[in-house]
Amino acid sequence: MDVRHDLIERSVAPDASWIRPDIFSDEALYRLEQERIFGRCWLLLGHESQLPEPGSFFRTYMGEEPILVTRTQEGEIRAFLNLCRHRGAQLCHEDRGVAKSFNCRYHGWAYACDGKLLAAPGEQQLYYGELDREEWGLIRVAQVESYKGLVFGNFDPDAPPLADYLGNMAWYLDILLDRRSGGTELLGVQRWRIPANWKIVAENHVGDEYHVGFTHGSQLTRPIESRAAPAPLAREIRPELGHGIGVDIIPEDLSPGERGGFDEEVNEYLRSIAGEMTERLGEMRPRLFPIHGLVFPTLGMVPILNSIRVIHPKGPNEIELWSYCMVDRDAPKRVKEILVQRSVSAFGPAGSFEQDDSANWTGVTRNTAGHQARKHRLNLSMGLGHEGEVDGLRGEVGLTASDINQRGFYLRWVQEMTGGQA
Amino acid sequence: MTLVDAQLLADLQFWYAREARLLDERRYDLWLETVDVAIRYQVPTRYFTAQADITDFGAWTVDRELAQASDVLLIDDDHAGISKRIERLQSGMAWAEMPPSITRRIVSNIEPGEAQEDGGIEVFSALLAFKSRGPDERSFLTAQRRDLLIPADGDFRLRRRLVIIDDTVLMGENLSIVL
Repeated sequence: MDVRHDLIERSVAPDASWIRPDIFSDEALYRLEQERIFGRCWLLLGHESQLPEPGSFFRTYMGEEPILVTRTQEGEIRAFLNLCRHRGAQLCHEDRGVAKSFNCRYHGWAYACDGKLLAAPGEQQLYYGELDREEWGLIRVAQVESYKGLVFGNFDPDAPPLADYLGNMAWYLDILLDRRSGGTELLGVQRWRIPANWKIVAENHVGDEYHVGFTHGSQLTRPIESRAAPAPLAREIRPELGHGIGVDIIPEDLSPGERGGFDEEVNEYLRSIAGEMTERLGEMRPRLFPIHGLVFPTLGMVPILNSIRVIHPKGPNEIELWSYCMVDRDAPKRVKEILVQRSVSAFGPAGSFEQDDSANWTGVTRNTAGHQARKHRLNLSMGLGHEGEVDGLRGEVGLTASDINQRGFYLRWVQEMTGGQA
Repeated sequence: MTLVDAQLLADLQFWYAREARLLDERRYDLWLETVDVAIRYQVPTRYFTAQADITDFGAWTVDRELAQASDVLLIDDDHAGISKRIERLQSGMAWAEMPPSITRRIVSNIEPGEAQEDGGIEVFSALLAFKSRGPDERSFLTAQRRDLLIPADGDFRLRRRLVIIDDTVLMGENLSIVL
């Protein structure tokens, strides 16, 4: 067993009932995460709607790696390391747009949207016609796959297919992605830096209903006591594989719109698609209202506010959070506007909810880094041993406020970090 | 030739200095009195965008960098929204501002633009906003403000504000203060 293995297993209890603070600040663990988590897991690149035409492109990250995502002339979506094969210069400097080709500004090598090397200045005179264009195309992300509009990439050519990676989580994602025949679109993106470790942000999304009553006290009209107590119809669900989602089971006497507290225009829209949703998702799933969730490791979501986000790590003590709004593509323009404005007022760097989240994540990251703090454990035991099943739901289920999903997240983290395949 | 009405410029300089002071002193109720009920207060997201095809160099190339109509902004408040933002700051549970950040807003480059038909006036200015929450959490931000001020009772009220932050990725953890 190597030292790193020891450090990993020391960080998380065998049943994940506690973690050590090292996990939020240790440089060696962070470096290993780049290889074993971000080098092997499926990571969200974006959405098909962000690449509307041949030549469309946008920049993003997979872990710390700068990535260029394109739509080829044939309509295929591809992802590459955003660097020129000649000397490694940054190839694309624009955030998004439409391009016929990508030309490196250093020496002028030019690439097509499918990554092929089109031309290098002086190919005949300087390279004597010996430069193999086939060999020197852009470095492709090994696997790129879509799941109902969302586009994921994986650096590992041997990683299991995306559908296997999502497992039971796909059944819940469908409530958002597959409820209408026209699918969804992604708008945005808000981008901001937070001096926090990526995992405290990820675990907040995967299952932390507990914090809502206190952290977001400024936004809640309900008393904190009633909020923190287990609500009979709300569940934290651990589908499997480290993913997690929190859903409310909408009571029979409420419509989804009433549960969400939407404006009448949105409620009317939701009523108008109820039939379509039932047809596509069956009877059970339209009664589930997803509140928050995470696809391991860094695709966070707050569906109740139409927010989809990616937590890009920038060192052990920093993230760049990218937050998009996701709406039904065929929803009326006015409904989209209302949902976007509602989302922005609550989430994002100026959101009435998320401002306070980022303040907490920053504090955790900074104050757990000390030598003394690292000697002690942090509690992750809520609801341990009280997980159960609910008829019709897939995966293990906890009460609203439970660490069930956080435990699942950290157990998956240990599994990936120690080299085990899911 | 007079490029600008000296009295107008003096009035605007006073108005912006007072506004900055009210916000820095966290006298939010007094600040809200300077805000028109029809306010639209927006902070767009911003993107690095290709400019190579631009041939009209007098055009607003900055606008191309900003969120398009259907896009997501950082802030998109009407009067109810901005009032809620202030209520939040005064709720005693807005942890990102508990204790309150120490701030300083420096407003400069005040430039009156087009006068509107209803007497309103477009004003461009530059903002430097400093925020401290202690030695580990200090941030600077610069931005252009594009405002529309409406004359009211011998004063101006803020009818529209577009804050164009000079970054594509916002630094400094969050936007917990009014810009």
